[in-house]
Amino acid sequence: MKSWRDPSEKTLALLLLAPAFFLIALIVIYPVGKLIYTSLFDMQLSGGARALEFVGLRNFEDALKDKEFWHATRNTLLITAITVPGALVVGLGLALLANWPFRYKWVVRLSLLLPWALPLSFCGLIFAWFFHTDYGIVNDVLRLLGAPEPTMWLLNPSWAMAAICLTIIWKTSSFMALILLAGLQMIPRSLYEAAQVDGATRWQQFWQVTLPLLVPSIVVALIFRTLTALQTFDIPYTMTKGGPGSSTETLAMLIHKTTIDYLDLGYGSALAVFMFLMSMLVTAVYLRQIGKQA
Amino acid sequence: MNLWTSGRLRLFAAVWIVFNGVFPVLWILFTSLKPEAELVRKPITWWPHSPTLMHYQHAFTEQPLLHYLGNSLIVASLSTLLSLGVATGAAYAIARLNLRYRQWILTAIVASSMFPLIALLVPIFEIMRSLGLLNSYTALILPYTVLNLPVCTLVLVSFFQSIPRDLENAAMIDGCSRIGALWHVVIPLAAPGVFTAGILAFVNAWDEFLLALSLNASAAMRTAPVGIAMYQGEYTFPWPLISAALIVTIIPVALLIALFQERVIGGLTQGGLKG
Repeated sequence: MKSWRDPSEKTLALLLLAPAFFLIALIVIYPVGKLIYTSLFDMQLSGGARALEFVGLRNFEDALKDKEFWHATRNTLLITAITVPGALVVGLGLALLANWPFRYKWVVRLSLLLPWALPLSFCGLIFAWFFHTDYGIVNDVLRLLGAPEPTMWLLNPSWAMAAICLTIIWKTSSFMALILLAGLQMIPRSLYEAAQVDGATRWQQFWQVTLPLLVPSIVVALIFRTLTALQTFDIPYTMTKGGPGSSTETLAMLIHKTTIDYLDLGYGSALAVFMFLMSMLVTAVYLRQIGKQA
Repeated sequence: MNLWTSGRLRLFAAVWIVFNGVFPVLWILFTSLKPEAELVRKPITWWPHSPTLMHYQHAFTEQPLLHYLGNSLIVASLSTLLSLGVATGAAYAIARLNLRYRQWILTAIVASSMFPLIALLVPIFEIMRSLGLLNSYTALILPYTVLNLPVCTLVLVSFFQSIPRDLENAAMIDGCSRIGALWHVVIPLAAPGVFTAGILAFVNAWDEFLLALSLNASAAMRTAPVGIAMYQGEYTFPWPLISAALIVTIIPVALLIALFQERVIGGLTQGGLKG
């Protein structure tokens, strides 16, 4: 077994790893440094060529005084607080249903995969059509149920937020269900048999056997979902463009608007640093959790 | 009695899952088949009464949908191939070679996906702009490749680990070099893993919106998701056209997941659970 330890192997390993590290450095590490650097400057590309002016932490001070920043942050946290538990509950329900032995398993699997495979932006467009005031199916169902007036879903701030959250829950619960289903299938059947021998009802089995054993899968799924919820962009962008007014604008949309539309890179970078810190906080919680499990 | 109820419950469960997953796409399919007059009728019709393929034709003639799809295909395929190439090397080194800190290296690659894309967008925009790469395929291919590295590497590492080392050793005793053994023995055996990783990477790249919208917004360089989202005018929403274009764009991805669903689910849960 000498060949496993020959020194040329180390060279080969480095050679094989080099492209991955080069690309990660180029697209992740260097940009993170550049982001922090730019956030300390006044860099507006829209007003013609202007000298880059070092402004220290002024962009951050401006952000903290910026009502739009707080509003967008509040929306982002609201969406996170609603859609993460929402997707967990719906996803768990779907996973429990899908865990039954079906004859046509592939139909069930495909139905769970389709929402995952659909682009987020398409979900936004599809559900904007669902929630259309005049021709949407949601209002038609409500009319059949006896609602006197059509609801102006996307034209009213609160309803628009509700519609966006429902769309996000629909889109993300399937992936959640797939992760939880994999966790469910790892629970040994013998545990349920033992519980039955002890006279546990189905309800007790769920609380005493299923849920505790599912906790590791749930934690991982929740943290991933939280990370993506903080970055919510595609669905509100395609459903409402942040409207009416800026009532459904998320932090990601504000960063996009500041940077790409207004070309205010300095301020946009400062906003992005806030986003970065929020995500790092969640990731730190995640890594601690992994450490606990290991 | 008990069997009967559980059979019914099971049917209910299956119907509910299928309805939940398929209905939104089905509804868009119905919308795309209804003629203009039927779409603005109130109360709305559910089933298309006089189906027409007119909107599909218009989706290609009134907007350069084919061109958008072409852009999507180029960007998604090239970034998938590049991810697979880079991830195969990295995964093989991590799974097989005499490497210290292998767990750390894997964690570092996975952690790169933890950075919020929206925060990376600002500097990536700045970099691509100063390099004159805005509105180019490269502007999307490079970031997509990196975005897909973690999941590809995770899937491939576990595939490589499942291949018995003896096979490789036997090939090397027979005179193969290590690279030769990798190419002739390990990669063919890991082909299902490479394929799974490839599907995941392709779907991710095909679906991506934020970078495509921000870096490649010019009409000639839009990918399908961006192009279709921009069908909407200031006040008008050409719903039948959008619906038809959505269905056309969903078809390739729907086919991929329908044909390879078990692999896709395996890859997703591997990437998700271990990540």
